[in-house]
Amino acid sequence: MPESAVLTQDEILEKTREILMEALVLDADEIKPDSSLTADLQAESIDFLDIVFRLEKTFSTEAKPFKIEPGELFPDNLLENPEWVQEGKLTDAGMDMLKERMPHVDFSAFDQDRNVDKVAANITVASLVTFIDRKLSA
Amino acid sequence: MRWMWIDQIVELVPGQRMVAIKNVSLAEEHLHDHFAADGELDALPVYPASLLIEGMAQTAGILVGAARDFKEKVILAKIMRAVLDCDVFPGQTIRYEASIENLDTAGAATKGVVSRTEAASGQWDLIGHIDLLFSHADQAMSGVDVPEHNFVFGENLKIILQSAGLSAAVGAKH
Amino acid sequence: MRFNLIDTVLEQSPDRIVAIKQVSLAEEYLADHFPTFPVLPGVLMVETMVQAARILLSDRGDTRLVLGEIKGLKFGSFVRPGETLAVDVTVTGSEDGTYQCRGKGRVLRHGRDGPDETAVSGRFTMRPIRRALPSS
Repeated sequence: MPESAVLTQDEILEKTREILMEALVLDADEIKPDSSLTADLQAESIDFLDIVFRLEKTFSTEAKPFKIEPGELFPDNLLENPEWVQEGKLTDAGMDMLKERMPHVDFSAFDQDRNVDKVAANITVASLVTFIDRKLSA
Repeated sequence: MRWMWIDQIVELVPGQRMVAIKNVSLAEEHLHDHFAADGELDALPVYPASLLIEGMAQTAGILVGAARDFKEKVILAKIMRAVLDCDVFPGQTIRYEASIENLDTAGAATKGVVSRTEAASGQWDLIGHIDLLFSHADQAMSGVDVPEHNFVFGENLKIILQSAGLSAAVGAKH
Repeated sequence: MRFNLIDTVLEQSPDRIVAIKQVSLAEEYLADHFPTFPVLPGVLMVETMVQAARILLSDRGDTRLVLGEIKGLKFGSFVRPGETLAVDVTVTGSEDGTYQCRGKGRVLRHGRDGPDETAVSGRFTMRPIRRALPSS
């Protein structure tokens, strides 16, 4: 495939699925677009690092390295900012921050819950594909 | 005994690659349990695969630590893949070759191959590969009780590096 | 160091074994791992699961199966002196004298509040000892 060719969302999904199969030791049919990485696929924080490294390797080309900055896929240290989290729940400012920093994730259902422990559960395979697609097109 | 499962560092390309070797000897106490004589079976000393993995983890861990001047607490977090196609016995030597695949503030991914030789044969056989993921404890493990000082890279390491003649190559600033 | 890591077998059935390893400051390697912060090395958690699997599989003929492969094995909580590693290993499949296993190790903390935590989890394969590379 020529390096300048743009990947379709289906191609991104396939490569992402292969990465998740390797990193999480799962079969292809266990990985669906709406699977939550943490809630359905049992990914833990060390798996996120594994996944980020594999994504960087897979989607980098000589012309355009694919580098994911710390906090870009998933904002770190949420608990440390009292503007964003009060008593274990995301504030309005916190929800705005999440929507801005993670445009690849659908937080509409989460708005009712806002429990900080459950933020990661909203990252689905589909939102990973969206993240990659946006970054490749940027 | 010492928890040191490599004997010499034979090559170091800072930030990229490291090669270390380990001699396997009947003098090692654990080989007398692994495996001891049992009923009709004779004793059969075989180098435990878990210690072989530790040798790779120490090789790769020092390589990763050196890349950041030993300021990070480099902790083995995940064995992504380890395959050992045959075993190692007393009188043989193991060679670990590790390279950094990815490194950032949160941690590092390494790839490694394991080879084995009989003493004086001059021939190395590739017997396995081990891919590891390390986390930098302070950056990546919020919530876990980890001491503030760098307990991972201490005096023992300095001794190994000095005896390998490599203190200069890795800065030895720690 | 002595290399029999299983202290007690708690449960055993044809496909599953639960066993413990006590961690104590009396174990010499802790002086090096690490000075000022002794913790059970991750590979000894793996070895504990391997030894548990070996006991479980010894009924099937080969009593000296060894670790051949690991996939996606993660380390979680540390296990400190005075704590216990409880491993739970299940055989998930077998093929030509090679056995696929899934294992998990929890930290047991005596007399202290809080849930037990996962120290190690992952998949591994046990196979017969091989002196030479398979020829193919």
